[in-house]
Order: sequence, then C-alpha cells, then structure tokens
Amino acid sequence: MDILIAGVGGQGTILVSKILAGAALLAGGRVRTGETIGMSQRGGCVVSHVRTGPVSSPYIPPGGADLLLALELCEGARHLPRLKTGGAAVVSTARLEPVTAALGQEAYEEKAMRAYIAARPRARFIPAGETARALGSEKAANIVLLGAAFAWGLLTMDEESLLASLAQNTPPAFAALNRAAWRAGAEAARNAADDREVTG
Amino acid sequence: MTLQNISFMEKPSKQILLGNEAIALGAIAAGARLVAGYPGTPSTEVLQTVAARNTDGAIHVEWSTNEKAALEVAAGAAWSGARAMAVMKQVGLNVAADPLMSLVYLGVRGGLVIVVADDPGPISSQTEQDTRFFAAFANAPALDPSCPEEAYAMALQAFDLSERYGLPVILRPTTKVCHASAAVDLSAERRPFAPGRFERSARWVIFPPLSYRRHGEIKAQQAQIGEEFSVSEFNRLEGDGPLGIAAGGVTYAILRDALMARSGAADWPAALAASALSVLKVGAVFPPPKALYRRFLSRARRVLVLEELAPVIEEQLLALKGAENLTAVVAGKLSGFVAPNGELLLEQVARYAETFLSPPPVTAAATAPEPPVAVTAPEPEPAPVWPRRSPVLCAGCPHRASFYAVKKATRGQRAVFCGDIGCYTLGNAAPLDMTDTCLCMGAGLTVAQGVKTADPQALVFAFIGDGTFFASGMTGLLNAAHNRADINIMILDNSTTAMTGHQSHPGLGRTVMGEETVKIDAAAVARALGAGFVERADPFDLPAAMDAARRAASHPGLSVVIFTAPCSGLFRPTQLCRAEKCSGCMLCVREIGCPALRIAAGVVEVNAALCHGCGLCARVCPSGRLRLEARA
Repeated sequence: MDILIAGVGGQGTILVSKILAGAALLAGGRVRTGETIGMSQRGGCVVSHVRTGPVSSPYIPPGGADLLLALELCEGARHLPRLKTGGAAVVSTARLEPVTAALGQEAYEEKAMRAYIAARPRARFIPAGETARALGSEKAANIVLLGAAFAWGLLTMDEESLLASLAQNTPPAFAALNRAAWRAGAEAARNAADDREVTG
Repeated sequence: MTLQNISFMEKPSKQILLGNEAIALGAIAAGARLVAGYPGTPSTEVLQTVAARNTDGAIHVEWSTNEKAALEVAAGAAWSGARAMAVMKQVGLNVAADPLMSLVYLGVRGGLVIVVADDPGPISSQTEQDTRFFAAFANAPALDPSCPEEAYAMALQAFDLSERYGLPVILRPTTKVCHASAAVDLSAERRPFAPGRFERSARWVIFPPLSYRRHGEIKAQQAQIGEEFSVSEFNRLEGDGPLGIAAGGVTYAILRDALMARSGAADWPAALAASALSVLKVGAVFPPPKALYRRFLSRARRVLVLEELAPVIEEQLLALKGAENLTAVVAGKLSGFVAPNGELLLEQVARYAETFLSPPPVTAAATAPEPPVAVTAPEPEPAPVWPRRSPVLCAGCPHRASFYAVKKATRGQRAVFCGDIGCYTLGNAAPLDMTDTCLCMGAGLTVAQGVKTADPQALVFAFIGDGTFFASGMTGLLNAAHNRADINIMILDNSTTAMTGHQSHPGLGRTVMGEETVKIDAAAVARALGAGFVERADPFDLPAAMDAARRAASHPGLSVVIFTAPCSGLFRPTQLCRAEKCSGCMLCVREIGCPALRIAAGVVEVNAALCHGCGLCARVCPSGRLRLEARA
C-alpha cells in the first residue's frame, strides 16, 4: 500500500510518516519511507511517502498512491494527481496561504480546490486544524487526521500498532494531547458516517 | 543485508532508520572513534545521529568549523590508528578538496570513511556535482548505496576496506537514500576501538618524491580494488538476457520497482525472469569492477545505463569497451538517451526502460543508429495550476527584520546586496527582494569587494549568517580589511545554524555533545580581523537597526553590523500580533511578507498558530491597528 502525506513545512508530515512506518513494522510488515528534508521545511511544500509491501524504492510514482493524507487544502489539491484512480484521500480543510497569495501574485481559490478534490469519489474533508486547536494545539492536527483516516478504515495497520507507534515517536509530555487528538479525529470520522464532509 | 537478502518478515532487531541514521549506526558498530563534519542537506542527520547515540561519550563527535577542518581532524585520528569518519554534503567536499587530494597520496592507518551526500535534482544544493567523479579524480575508492539497509552494510565495510588498502574511502549516498527510511537489522556487534598511538614516519609528510612514488602505488592498488569490487556483495549481475541495464546507487532500487510494475510480477526474481534482461547493479563504483563489467558487456549486446548526476558508470563501461574492442552498444547520458540533469524518479526510469526495451519498428530505419530520445522530463498530467508555495523566512524570523531595516535605510540609493548560504538566502523572495548575488559559503563578503571595486558608486552590502561567518566568512572579512574595501558587512546573528536544523557553531559556547566551550564573539573577531566600524543592533528595534545600517553605509571603509536576535525556532513565543479594525492598506503585507499575515475580505488577519510575536508588522502598520499582545 502506498500512502502519500502532503503538507506545508512545519505541519508535521514526517511525524505522520514515522508513525505509519513504525506501525507497519510492529504489525510485522515491510515498509519504506521517503521524506522531504531541507529548505522546503521553511514553509514550502513537503511530502512524505510511506510504502508497505515488496517494494525496493522509497518514492511513490505519480498516479500510484492508494491513499493521500493532506494536512492543508491547497496541498491536497496539488498532490491529488498522485492518487490512483479509485484512491482515497483525507484532506484537512486548514488553509495556509502562501505569501505570494497575500501579495496578490497568485489566487488561493478555496472553492476550486475543494471542488477539484471532491470530484474524487473517495475523498473526504476534515477540519483537522480547528479540531486540534480546540484540544489546545494546532500542531496536533496531523494526529487528528491520522485518527480520522483510521476510523474511516483507510489504514491497513491495526489500532494497537498505530497507537504504540504514536507513543514511540512522540515525546511523553505530549502523550495525552496526542491520544486526545487521535480520539477526536476518529470520533469526527465516525460521526460523519457516510457524509463526505466533517463539519467543524 | 543487500536488497536481495531482505527477509520477508522483519525481525525485532530491526529499526526503521533513515539512510543517514543507518550510516551513523554502521560507523558506530564499526568502531569509529572520531566523527567530524559540517552540516549540509542531505548529509546532516549522519553526524547528529552519532551524537545522539553516543550516550557514553566514548566517540569524539564534533561539528567542525567547516568541511576542510572536519576532514583534517579525521585524518589526524586515522594516522594515529583510530577509525574516523568525516561527514559533509557534496559542495562541502569542494571546501575539503585540498586535504582530500593530498590525503589519498599519504593514505591512512586507521580506517577513514568520508561520507559525502549528493543531491540529484538538486533539491537543497547549489550544484548537481557528482562525488563519484571526485572520488576518481582523487583516487579514493567510492561506495554508492541503493537503500538504507545497504548504506548500513557499506558503512560497516568501508572501514575494513580503508584499513586493508590504507586509503580513505568515500561513502556517497544520495538524497533518496539519505532521507528514505527502511527497517535495518542492527544485530552487528560493536567493534572495540583500536588503540590510538601516533607513530612517527616519513609517510605522513608529503614531499614531491613521496608523491611520485605513491601515485604509482595508488594506481597499482586500483586494479586490485577493482578486482575485489567485481565480486563485492554491492555489485551484482542478475539475469542473462541479451539486453542489459546497468543501474547505480538508488537507481537500481527504482529500476526493480519499474520492472516489477512493467511485468506485473509479484517479486523481483519473477520480474527479472519475465524481462529477459541482464541487470548490472553497481554499488562499489570506483575503481571500476572491470571483470564484472566485461561479463556484462559480453552477455548483453545493447546496454542502457541509468544513473543520476554524472555518467560515471557509462564512461567506465565505454572506456572498457574501447580498450578491449567490445561490441556492445551503450546508451545513456553521453549518447543523449537519458537526460543529463535532474533526478531519475520511478516514472522516468520506467519510461527509459520502456523505450529501451520496446522492439524497434521493422523498417529500414531500424538498422540506422539509434536516435536520441528527447532529454526533457516527461509531461506531467494536466492538472489545475495551484498557487506555488516556495520556502520563505519563518514568521518571527529576525532575518526578515534585518533585511527590512537595511532596505528601508538604503531606500532611494543604488545599493547591491550580496547574499550567502543559509536561511537568509530566502531574503531573495518578494517582497523583501534583498539578495542580488549568492555563490557559495562565505562568498558574499568577497563578491561584494569585487562589485565595489568595479562599481564604486554603488553602496555595497554583504549579508552573512553567524554560522557561515565562522565557517567561511572570516578570511573574506580579513581580505576586505587588508585591501581597504569600502563594503558593509551585515552579520545576521541568530545564535544557531538554522537552515540545517540548529547545529552548534563556534559562536554558541556549546559543542554538539552539549559540553560548555569557549564562546567566540563575532564582533571581537571582526575587530581583530581589522574592521574599524563594528556595531551590534537588535533588528526588531527598527529605528536603531536602520540607524546602524545608515551609519555603516556612511562610514568610509569597511564596516560591520551584527544584527543580533535569536532564531524563532529557538524559543516559544510569549506574544502574538492581532489585527483590529484593519484599514486594509496592506502596507504590512507588501513590505515584510510574513507568512502569518493573510488577507480576508480586504483586511489583514494574523494566523495565530504561525505568528511568533516578533512585532515587526506592528512596527510597520501606519495606523497602529496591528498590536502585540501577551499570548493566552
């Protein structure tokens, strides 16, 4: 299974990748990841690739991802073509406008982005940023998104392995916040049932 | 430990590691006694991991002032019998080129491994240079891992190789190995340190007669090492088809996935069998494994070489073909079949393999020489164009304030702003637009001197960070003082090496292991190097910062201003800005370009999650509608 995690530098895509990879290993599977580390971490586009199964290389080809986890709306739209036909997407509705948009050089067209993403039958939105903020830190939005993806049945790893990996890859001081974020994401997803959109 | 041998079920001794972490743990297991390096993407995590895992402090780990220092420190340890490793990125090897070239002539006693990370793309680098070429130029054996597991195995073996031949060995991972992770088996026992004792010998003193003798010896050794590489576990000839594909480093792993997808086979052996190919995996690349290459070229009549950066394997194969009159046709970068620049991603590898393997049309043209394939990247799927998102200075970054102060202080004057390597290279972006030149580490200071000489009417500024100043800026400042250059050096002191993730440097008073050490004062250094005008200023005190820039500009001769404020990544904000009844003049957005400022319904809003409470926007706001408040 090929999972692409997309976001803006600073949002914590690498942590999501580490949690998924650790969970895959704990569950007894094979896994490789590829990360974006470097200048892009300063507010640029960042993507992490998580590949389970008998693959040799770490990066998912365009149109090859089974699942897209996007921590930001525009990044969800940008990376949607990397999804397989029939692939699933969980997209945070968080907006982070690039400086060029504020300067009027480019337009951040939220409606167009949403419509483009929603055209994929297996795409779902979640207000991960707002949910995390309500728990005390927007930084935990990545864990909210992960909890929602799990509750929607989009992750192949079992919950025990995922939560063990979450604990292994995050500082103990944030354990309570992260568990709360996971639960909030899962709950929002379950409450949404078949709705495509979780309302904040 | 190579790709072939990965067991299906991961064992508990395995850990998910980045390639860089795997190299670090390989070096620790190999008994490295000293590890020295200079940070640079994509190499930085190697040394950081050694430091983090060095819990008993037995290994001497250091961020050296630059790559030249790192390699020389490592050489001293290796001459004294210890195993040592130097770590840097590819352009860092340019800085360390001087010691490297001579070091191969002198050789080593304890194993010396030089980890040099290359960056195809380039993703975070100035050039797409290829360290395998550098290794051949310097006569140093070179290893090129295909995956994190192999990077670990190579790090372990590189020390043995170095000691057996008495040569430094270059381990060259690329970004897709450095920053990829996989489950790595860490069951190797840690080798105890070799006792260190420097033995006096003429072999450690380079003189022309020694160099002449050693040059001959090194070349003789290369034939031997090449023979060893022909049977190395890192090089392999798989399959026995009449068409051949040679792949170096990570491109081999990508080729496997491309051929698996092409054949629809469930695993690599089945994909290989279905492809009717001979596949040459090259991991131990210099000196070339000629015997293995000979078998490959005699088995395959037509050969495609897939490798990122320079056509190193391709040239090695062509040289052998020429020398031995072999008949195989070799396609690659030199033949124009493969693009000379950029990464080789799975989609490109698949496309090149497909073109190469497709049977030629049965026409007269089939007998003509193979036409080169266009060297452009494949067309991406048509998709809507979304706003670009380039990296920017963070919200609360003190560099933004420093650039803004100098920009305002020089408004209306013809000024040239020479930049340098670090986060502050991002000062080039709109709306600051404060970087007119950027060449390499430390060059801003010296380029500025050349600009000022040729264009004396211009007001010339050079911007350099504190880390880069200590790494490569001091000689440039000394040069300016000695040669009476009338330039203005702005040292952007944010108390860290920010771009690569907050490494220590000589101005901080702490080593990478957290030990206290002497704290070097950049102002004192600037004075000692001959600068008459040296001032410190707080960039967030805008009037004072502008004043310092103005006084520097009007000071005849060399002047230095040290803008001092910590990187926003070093502390948690206690304040944040809030916009109330914004008039919508947009001056803050147009002037400073902070990523925490956005426009909603014609007025400015502050993104509280991003705002770091630096207050620069509040100082810029002409109507006092942006205010700094205590965080809740």
